[in-house]
Amino acid sequence: MQGILFPNGVAEEREGFNGYRARGGYAALSKVVKGIPPADVIREVTEAGLRGRGGAGFPTGKKWSFTRDCSEQPRYVVLNGGEDEPGSKKDRLLLEKLPHLVIEGLILAAYGLGAGKAYIYINRQYEAALESVREALDEARAAAYWGESVLGSDFNLEIVITEAPPNYVAGEDTAALEVIEGKPPLPRQKPPFPATVGLFGKPTAVNNVETLANIPPIIDRGAAWYRSFGTTESPGTMIFSLGDEVSRPGIYELPFGTPLRFLIEECGGRLKSGKKIKAILPGGPSSAFLPADKIDVALDHNSVREAGSSIGCGVVRIFGEGECVVEETLRIAEFFARESCGQCPACRMETNMLATILRKVQQGQGGAAIMDQIAKVIAFNKGKGFCNLINMPGPPIESALRLFPGDFEAHLSRGRCGLT
Amino acid sequence: MKQICLVCQNVDCKTRGAEVLMKELERKVTEKGLADVEVRPYMCFGACQEGPNVVVYPEKTWYAGVKTDDLEDIINHLSGGPDVKRLDKIDPSLKDLIYQLLDTGVF
Repeated sequence: MQGILFPNGVAEEREGFNGYRARGGYAALSKVVKGIPPADVIREVTEAGLRGRGGAGFPTGKKWSFTRDCSEQPRYVVLNGGEDEPGSKKDRLLLEKLPHLVIEGLILAAYGLGAGKAYIYINRQYEAALESVREALDEARAAAYWGESVLGSDFNLEIVITEAPPNYVAGEDTAALEVIEGKPPLPRQKPPFPATVGLFGKPTAVNNVETLANIPPIIDRGAAWYRSFGTTESPGTMIFSLGDEVSRPGIYELPFGTPLRFLIEECGGRLKSGKKIKAILPGGPSSAFLPADKIDVALDHNSVREAGSSIGCGVVRIFGEGECVVEETLRIAEFFARESCGQCPACRMETNMLATILRKVQQGQGGAAIMDQIAKVIAFNKGKGFCNLINMPGPPIESALRLFPGDFEAHLSRGRCGLT
Repeated sequence: MKQICLVCQNVDCKTRGAEVLMKELERKVTEKGLADVEVRPYMCFGACQEGPNVVVYPEKTWYAGVKTDDLEDIINHLSGGPDVKRLDKIDPSLKDLIYQLLDTGVF
């Protein structure tokens, strides 16, 4: 299947400067600096309907227009490669294999936004990605694609790499800004949003790696072409990550709107165990479980939401018959308890309480009333944190309780899994 | 009836002295020979800005912003004296939530 980011299938090899140029790389940048007004770049991205690929799916053109419309100077662009979502490998892969595509996207964003400085924020554990990006930046600078007077124009751009801490919350956009400012990775209270009050208090566009990788094809081939992929509400393609539970784990670029069944069966080759599917987590650990009968849902923001979950950043996990949802839900609750940065009291209490309650359930301690406390803890704390982490344990835990009450009852009554 | 003094030991309460406070409370409980009182750490009550927090359960008395100087009055309460009104500062909705959690065995 033809992709936008990987036109010939997901790359095994790193695409170097010459390879990228040979397939039309940097043509979009050459075109815009020779006379296309920055506002047109933003308009094209808006018309293309590009949505952020970091998880929230916010329209990129709209986000950029907030920054662009802000009179404060200077403005910044941040490429967010802080990727710490369990199971997500897409941003690392793009940085390793297609560094020039990502860098061209970043330069185009800076041009459109009138930013003179851009930051590349990469998880410091991604050594190969860091090395790949450093080399690509050197090559691009030598070709005058960034630096003083880009391709002889009056557009100047400085690009700096900042290494990101490997904890989950460090990938949150305002935590990334704190790290770039030399501080610990603690999210800021929003509003104000970074688009208007961001890095060093200035307007800043913070975009996910995959989001920016979509910019060169949009500018090069136009919004109408881009919209020939995907759906009206979710145009283009998205990279999905499949884990080791399927026969062919890895990452797959598919047009939005592709049935989930296609990803699981045709791409992933179904469950390695050969078992029937029991549940699907379609958008990482903060998404709600879907029951097996939703396997024909179209993979786009609206359809997955209507089915009761969210597409997140495309990390799809599949659970077979006989697997215990209590165990998985406890793992998720413990993950968020561990990864909460702890600066917001409500988040600290909620994530700890949920993990404690689910541990009790798993061990068969406590009566049925303990289950009722879960919804109360979630409702009490909803929206009380600076960042969205406080809202993340709710969807997987509450959907698991709704869809698979038998798993929880078995643990509560027997102190162990009813499935084994 | 046996009372449990739950002393929050999460990071915020700890930075406000909850570790020393808990040790001191344990020492005073032993010193007074309060056999029906047990002192136990707790993960978090969600009232970090008001910490250190001490909840007496199942009696359901919540003391916030507790300092070692307050322990004498708390010990007096645990020995059958009046509760310490000046340390009762927590929002009733949070109290309800936490008491329900404790009632269902979330320790």
